[in-house]
Amino acid sequence: MTDRHDDLIAELRALGDFLDVPPARDQRAAVRAGIARRKATRRWRLWLIGVLVAVAGAIGGVAPARAAVVSAVDGLLRVAGIAVRTGPAPPVALPAGPSPLPFEQATTLEAARRAAKFPVLVPAALGDPQDVTIADGARVVTFAYRNGRVRLDQCDGTIDPIFFKQAPNAEWVNVGADYGIWLAKPHEVTYVDRAGVERTVTARVAGPTLIWQHNAVTYRLEGIADRDEAIKVGRSLG
Amino acid sequence: MSGLERATELDDAAVVARARAGDLDAYEVLVAHYTAAAHRAAVLLGAGADADDVVQEALVKAYRGLSRYRGESGFRPWLLAIVANETRNLHRSRGRRDGVLLRAVRQEMPEPAPDPADTAEANERRQRLVDQLRRLDRRDREVLVCRYLLDLSEAATAVALGWPKGTVKSRTARALGRLREHLAEDEHLAGEEGTDD
Repeated sequence: MTDRHDDLIAELRALGDFLDVPPARDQRAAVRAGIARRKATRRWRLWLIGVLVAVAGAIGGVAPARAAVVSAVDGLLRVAGIAVRTGPAPPVALPAGPSPLPFEQATTLEAARRAAKFPVLVPAALGDPQDVTIADGARVVTFAYRNGRVRLDQCDGTIDPIFFKQAPNAEWVNVGADYGIWLAKPHEVTYVDRAGVERTVTARVAGPTLIWQHNAVTYRLEGIADRDEAIKVGRSLG
Repeated sequence: MSGLERATELDDAAVVARARAGDLDAYEVLVAHYTAAAHRAAVLLGAGADADDVVQEALVKAYRGLSRYRGESGFRPWLLAIVANETRNLHRSRGRRDGVLLRAVRQEMPEPAPDPADTAEANERRQRLVDQLRRLDRRDREVLVCRYLLDLSEAATAVALGWPKGTVKSRTARALGRLREHLAEDEHLAGEEGTDD
């Protein structure tokens, strides 16, 4: 259809080389500053909203089945409300009996839905949870399945991710259209409260975990050993 | 698609994934890589002296919008869509500032630089081509700029202009037809002037 315009097309293509386009300004510093400016207005929220921190490091004194030494790589992984430290973690003494999350209480699915400020979703692949708990003023809603071996945390996490460094033990995955992190190996989990303070008394070792964000809610699915099965559960949220 | 292009796209996907997770160093790689292309697009789409500001705004907005990037035709057309949009916003704000009359005479295409090594005729022809591109309707001009001056594929042009692919095809054919008509009219007028002498 455009064949009869071949000559004109050739002229237009050639014209591009003759147009007086000034050199572009180096935008690197200005764009960084622009991004930082917009972030500053959101920083307040950043620290007020719930954060769960998973620290991957050399873990000693753990039950043999769960013991693992994770290679030390500098950096910090974040998916929305969850940060993953992949650097050589300072040796943290895990409490013998980790405390529950602050103000944790058993509840029902309906009550959790009423209490939470974000939509609480049920993964169709797992069905209705056996137990439902809310913590810290419904900042975190936790479902338990398979007699507590599988756990799904949902938290209001509209926080912008900050850093991403690839670590050998943390894998970047797609959960449907969303991005997530798959941690196949045992790692340590600590709760960070509303003030941004890490509650070391809550530190415990977590099993294989999938972390992802969907519609401003952060999800953390723990206890399913197979990556693809975990992703399937993640995709079935609705 | 050549192997090299494919490799670039895969690299983009990896860098975008890291940038999306908040890695500003990764995003800076994209900024460094695409600033020149974005700036050229802004100039050719009519941002003029504001092109650098348009590009800066577009790059900051692109970072915010990375979660919407699907990678269908690569990062460049996706970024150019934001650049094109910012350029249109600029025209609107200029229009409000300067009034419609001033905007109408504003030149929205850069001038061709005469090539001293080329014939006067070739240089004149290029000037005429630019003049007639300026006379085109904005959408006609945009599609020709994207397809031929920025050398984007039909699919990439569709992404950059936010149109369906079929529209790009039909609009390109129509714009080429109009440009040819304008050029013929112009030559006819120039010819008449010539005989008057």
